[in-house]
Amino acid sequence: METPGSAREALLLGAFVRMADTLVDDYDVVEMLHELVGYCVSLLDSAAAGLVLSDQRGGLQVLASSTDETRLLELFQVQIREGPCLDCIGAGEPVRVPDLAAERARWPRFVPQAVSRGFAAVHAIPMRLRQNTIGALNLFDHGVGAMAEQDLLVARALADIATIGILHERAIRRGEVLTEQLQTALNNRITIEQAKGVLAHAGRLDMHQAFQALRAYGRSRNALVSEVAHQVVTGVITPAAVLTLSAPPGRGST
Amino acid sequence: MSRAWSTGALVVAEAGDDEADRVRHRVVGDLRGGGSELDALAKVCDACVELLPVDGASVSVMTGDLGRECLYATDRVAARIEAVQFSLGEGPCFQAFDTKRPALAPNLRDVAWPVFAAEIGAEPVGALFGFPLVAGAISIGALDLYRRTPGWLSAAQLRVALRLVDVATLVLLGLGLDRAAGAWTDLPLRRAQVHQAVGMLIAEFGVSPEHALARLRGHAFTTGRLVDEVADDLVSRRLHPADVGGA
Repeated sequence: METPGSAREALLLGAFVRMADTLVDDYDVVEMLHELVGYCVSLLDSAAAGLVLSDQRGGLQVLASSTDETRLLELFQVQIREGPCLDCIGAGEPVRVPDLAAERARWPRFVPQAVSRGFAAVHAIPMRLRQNTIGALNLFDHGVGAMAEQDLLVARALADIATIGILHERAIRRGEVLTEQLQTALNNRITIEQAKGVLAHAGRLDMHQAFQALRAYGRSRNALVSEVAHQVVTGVITPAAVLTLSAPPGRGST
Repeated sequence: MSRAWSTGALVVAEAGDDEADRVRHRVVGDLRGGGSELDALAKVCDACVELLPVDGASVSVMTGDLGRECLYATDRVAARIEAVQFSLGEGPCFQAFDTKRPALAPNLRDVAWPVFAAEIGAEPVGALFGFPLVAGAISIGALDLYRRTPGWLSAAQLRVALRLVDVATLVLLGLGLDRAAGAWTDLPLRRAQVHQAVGMLIAEFGVSPEHALARLRGHAFTTGRLVDEVADDLVSRRLHPADVGGA
């Protein structure tokens, strides 16, 4: 009989194998980061997870989040100015906030917004390779309390793999590759937003459903999400083709 | 630092940031005062040379393989770099435009454009940095920087460069008029809703992303609102795409 522990172990293993795949195979940064935040929610029991990358202009951009729920996205948006995420990227070290309510003075903007959305604790894990901190993984919890040490290790390991995946081996030495990769990822994210808009309007979906449709189509064709997005936006693929293929039986589920 | 929250002061700020911001404000101010877009792009290029350790800058617009034009170059060498690229069909500006990613060559000796490198060899060009002017699937051109000696830009310099590239992108996309003030993170390019709204208009009218953006901008202009606001209304379905008429 399988214990919950060993079931989790199997999931964990699957996640690492999947993330490691991105290092050797053709992969899409945006898709990989979405898988990463998905694992954080399913494996680490986080209520919500999000990932921000440095835009190299002194700001941060939300690249992936476990939900497209507007209120959550707004919370990430707030973090661009103030909060554990920004501190984490500044220091290149994890920032653990087991009790958000106790930190109002530290982050007067961020804490009330996070609390009002039902979050009680947050952990920020840097995406760092040597001296380069390119972003942070953000894990939100509904209950007060520090993340288990073991879970934190898992989150750091996943973040590390994702970081190496983004920077790739050449980037470790060459600053220009880092810039090329990051700027491409940021622009791909914009193309995906445009494609979400196309699918949302054509298929009467919300933005989250539109994104799921895009990913499902990409997976079925073994194509990169950002490439599919570009083809949708430029009319190479019709919205109908994507929507038909990804339509779940019944209506409106994701 | 975060005191000016409502006006969106960046928590992390460096000297170059202020200068890049000043350039943007000046450019936006000029456009509002009836200045031409060409003048605005010239100011951005001049600012690149002034604020960065580069010797020349240029902006070119491209539409696919055929339509390409250098709109401004700060000096003869920068103009020559563009001319050589256009005649050969290769180089940093082409690559940046084609791949929608920066094409950065801190040492021209190591680059992947052998014909271009040979042709430009007679000119004093050591490093070339090509930045695409893009917004998702919308690709309009490139901004090229050159320096006489090989060498990479520091992280702080790169930051200034990317901010100036953003200004050029905003000017060419016609989004520069939206806000006289506001922090970098508030630029329309940063707002997911703007891009989602462009997508909705593509689906409604079956037009190109460039055309969809033009409609969005046109609607904002004629109704006296910000592109952000119109986009918000579209995405939250308070406004139907069919009601966003021709530009």
